[in-house]
Amino acid sequence: MVDFGIPIGAGIAFGLGALATGIAQSKIGAAGAGTIAEKPEMFGLMIILVAIPETLVILGFVVASMIMIMLV
Amino acid sequence: MEYAYVNARIKAMKSRLLDRTLLEQLINKPDIDSIITELEKTTYREELDRAGVLFSGINRIEVAIRNDLVKKFRTILNLIKGGESEQLISIILQRWDIQNIKTILRGKNIQENPSEILECLIPAGELDEAALTELVKQPDIKAVIDLLATWGIVYARPLALNFKEFTDTGDMVVLEYALDTFYYEDAISGVKAAESEDARILMKMIITEIDINNIKTVLRAIRDRIDVEEAKRYFINGSPDFHAGKLISMMKTGTIEGALKQLEKSPYEFITKIPKEYIAAEKISAFEKELEQYLIKKAISQFMGDPLSIAIPIAYIWAKYSEVTNIRVIARSIFMEVPEKELREALISV
Repeated sequence: MVDFGIPIGAGIAFGLGALATGIAQSKIGAAGAGTIAEKPEMFGLMIILVAIPETLVILGFVVASMIMIMLV
Repeated sequence: MEYAYVNARIKAMKSRLLDRTLLEQLINKPDIDSIITELEKTTYREELDRAGVLFSGINRIEVAIRNDLVKKFRTILNLIKGGESEQLISIILQRWDIQNIKTILRGKNIQENPSEILECLIPAGELDEAALTELVKQPDIKAVIDLLATWGIVYARPLALNFKEFTDTGDMVVLEYALDTFYYEDAISGVKAAESEDARILMKMIITEIDINNIKTVLRAIRDRIDVEEAKRYFINGSPDFHAGKLISMMKTGTIEGALKQLEKSPYEFITKIPKEYIAAEKISAFEKELEQYLIKKAISQFMGDPLSIAIPIAYIWAKYSEVTNIRVIARSIFMEVPEKELREALISV
């Protein structure tokens, strides 16, 4: 019998990380757009700030990968 | 309402407000031309250039800062267009409608030249420049009220209701208080209908304004020995702490010192610390200035409030207003060669 628990766990780890990243980036992105509209010179800083929540999904991906490795 | 975008823009606009160092530099300028040169290095450049076509000297500064203020307020209103936030911000901006109507009425009362009246107006509310120009052209107060009524502007109602009393007494205060009372009562009912966190933030500000207006009324009434029954008519309802009963008990003390004693342990306790000589001389202007400073400081401190709420636009509106007022005070003081000490006393320090 196939154990679905491990791939589901990996899916949750990756999916929730991606969801959290999306929520964080939506707020930061909106605020970033507002800031750049007034101060275009802040563009570089805003790109970095928008990218920071990517760490959440990367961590989720790493955890998911580790879980999947356990499966092999 | 997507406050992340709007408030980030407003905070960026805030970062371009003039800081204390720049105001100090303006204070130290010897004449109007050097103030213009300094202001041209700031965000006022565009409006100064535009105003420079038709005006020069102090008028150029006045027109430029007024247009800049109006432009910024319109930007905020456009950013939050639609929904409850726009309604709430409109309530704040309607203060300028009230101020403009009062200025027009005062001007008409003393038969001032229409162009002189127009120079004192700030078209930041719902009545735009075209509407105000039309109002100013009216021959007298009655015609101004009639025109407001024809346009369906709500402020015509309190003015029309109190016009007879004004013609009997000739006292402008009657019309001014009618307008104030109508504005605050209308604002409170508008904000109460909203029932949101934003509405709660704005309600606090409106109640502070009402308290300050009522405290000023009490102090003036005591100074002018006006009896309680007469003064009571000019109290604005709506404040839970400084309701009519509390204000009457302040009035009944009969002295400024007694009235101030009743402010102890309230948010307005700070005015009890004003030097005794002002109290003895019944110099109400000192108390009024302190109360106004408190209101502006409280409004600007909203920048520290919830960054995803109406607190940021409210704070910006007041910060911009205080900046424009300070530039105007500096320019006028230097133009009239007012001593630096008096100039500094007249500034709003935040």
